[in-house]
Amino acid sequence: MLHVDDLTVSIGGTPILKGLDLEVGPGEVHAIMGPNGSGKSTFAHALAGREGYDVEGTVTLDGADLLAMEPEDRAAAGVFMGFQYPVEIPGVNNMYFLRTALNSVRRSRGEDEISAREFLKVAQEAMDLVEMKQDFLNRSVNAGFSGGEKKRNEILQMAVMQPKLAVLDETDSGLDIDALRVVASGVNALRGPERSMIVITHYQRLLDYIKPDYVHVLVNGRIVESGDHTLALHLEEKGYADFLGEDAELTGASA
Amino acid sequence: MTVAAPTWQADALEQLASLALPTKRDEAWRYSPHAKLSQLTFGPAAALDEVPSDVEAQIPVLDGPRLVLVNGVVDPGRTNLGALADGVVFCALSEAPPPAAARLQQTHESPDDAFSVINRAYGTEGALVQVSGQVDVLLHIVDVSVPGATHNASASRVVIDLAEGASATVVETRIGSGTGFGGSNVRTEITLGAEATLEHIILQDLPASQLHIGRVDVDQAASSTLRARLFNLGADYGRVAYHVHLVGEGARAELSGLYFGFGDQTLDQQITVVHEAKDCTSRQSYRGVLDDSSTGIWNGCVDVRPGADGTDSEQSNDNLLLSKTAEVNTMPRLEILADEVSCQHGATVGQLDDTALYYLRSRGIRKDEASRLLINGFADQVMDDLEHHGVRGWVTARLGHGHE
Ligand SMILES: Nc1ncnc2c1ncn2[C@@H]1O[C@H](COP(=O)(O)OP(=O)(O)OP(=O)(O)O)[C@@H](O)[C@H]1O
Ligand SMILES: [Mg+2]
Repeated sequence: MLHVDDLTVSIGGTPILKGLDLEVGPGEVHAIMGPNGSGKSTFAHALAGREGYDVEGTVTLDGADLLAMEPEDRAAAGVFMGFQYPVEIPGVNNMYFLRTALNSVRRSRGEDEISAREFLKVAQEAMDLVEMKQDFLNRSVNAGFSGGEKKRNEILQMAVMQPKLAVLDETDSGLDIDALRVVASGVNALRGPERSMIVITHYQRLLDYIKPDYVHVLVNGRIVESGDHTLALHLEEKGYADFLGEDAELTGASA
Repeated sequence: MTVAAPTWQADALEQLASLALPTKRDEAWRYSPHAKLSQLTFGPAAALDEVPSDVEAQIPVLDGPRLVLVNGVVDPGRTNLGALADGVVFCALSEAPPPAAARLQQTHESPDDAFSVINRAYGTEGALVQVSGQVDVLLHIVDVSVPGATHNASASRVVIDLAEGASATVVETRIGSGTGFGGSNVRTEITLGAEATLEHIILQDLPASQLHIGRVDVDQAASSTLRARLFNLGADYGRVAYHVHLVGEGARAELSGLYFGFGDQTLDQQITVVHEAKDCTSRQSYRGVLDDSSTGIWNGCVDVRPGADGTDSEQSNDNLLLSKTAEVNTMPRLEILADEVSCQHGATVGQLDDTALYYLRSRGIRKDEASRLLINGFADQVMDDLEHHGVRGWVTARLGHGHE
């Protein structure tokens, strides 16, 4: 489904990702862990299409060349990225935003726009999923939301957009224990044979809730180790010490 | 009913002969298009044989009585005052009932800038609103400028008096006809009695070939509230100057507005709030969006006079520049001559937020639509507490097709 081959990303001349390979099959959940600054968010943004990156390599989703697409076309192709730092947009109503987003991708796919009534139903189901109160839909997008509320709002958007590939960048950071459970069960509810996920996290705890099929360790712009969920347990115990400073030797060790 | 011409009007007519137009050196006219302003020609108000056909469709549809002035003369065909509640006078100045007629002999400040003098000389007709008690309906005054053969610009006068404890909403729409050069000059004089509340809205949407010069003078008695909103959208040069005097203790003035420029428009707001009494509150909150080669001017002043202790004032002016050739001149100013005052001010000038744009696009929203969402989101905040759906709807629709 997702095929990443020798992806390199430089920002302002500084190489951040240095040849990243990843295969994600339909319905699979991959976790990416790694030290601060190792390039996890950069990878997520490279998939979503952030401007200002010098990107080389190949990224395809079901055969379609993602790197050639604008961010909005990637969304229409089924990519959804949950931001590590969701953006506050004062003055833009959350409900209106969601509906505009959904209708935009439907139009791009040649589908009819959703009716107001039908949309309310979709939104309501999504809100129930993340246990969000109605008034969040009537507020401006993320404006004045607490850290945890912003993360819930990301999952709400994912539930409405129903992507093919969800990339969740530290959606668990800043969540209290209950919110973590809510967000995790929201993610689990959206798991399915047609939907693949890349979950970026620092904490093994999230992976107790969302059991990944694969765990990858990203260090200094490369995937230096891949394994099953036990790799996360190992990292939790030992930290990244085993992988630091030797990524040169480990190049090509990805699954 | 005929009313004797007030002496100040005769004086103004006399001053016309030696009138000097404002120049760059006048702070309040620094960025105005002086060459264009000098081409405006004024004269005694005269009724048109026929009101042009493009006028009707431009008038916002708002519930409530309306008075339409075309070139400074009442247009009976488009005016519909209906039945008014007791305690409400809403009529042409020339139809003012005798007690009100005496009031019209007086004027607020008599500013001596050329356009104020012209307004006193030729703005002989206009609208009168006098309210005691509560008016639930919105009173709509429409001023239409149709450049004529003898002179290309019109002048009119609006007088609004609210008695003690009265409340009302007045919308002033200012529009014009055709594509010829011309303009309008409207002076509004507002007096608020103790504890009176006025919501006053100006919708300025003259054609791009015309100039608009507006001036609003307000005197507020104790504990009165003014909410003044300006939607400064149309005209080649669109200007409204507010002079608000908080005369009685505990008076409150909330002024807000939106200017949204395209093409070569220049949109100019000159705001002065004078705190003359204790414990008064004022808010100035204006937003500007400037596209193409348009220019925004915001000159906001809070003047706290000696003895106006306990003054609470805030000024903010936020601007969004959508093009490299758009510009804004923002000047928040404070003059404080009293004690225990709290005055805050700030101005910002920015561009569309790239990160926000990316966030929206990552959700599938096309770039142009994402920009529009952000721009409207920025502009709409001016209307956050605007209750009148008719006005809100008009502004939204107007901005929606603003880029034609
Ligand atoms: N716009 C930018 N300009 C310059 N350097 C950047 C830019 N964006 C990211 N970087 C750098 O790229 C590196 C990787 O950043 P990235 O945000 O991808 O790390 P991360 O793995 O997500 O870290 P964290 O765990 O702290 O979220 C960092 O050193 C960062 O400073
Ligand atoms: Mg990160």
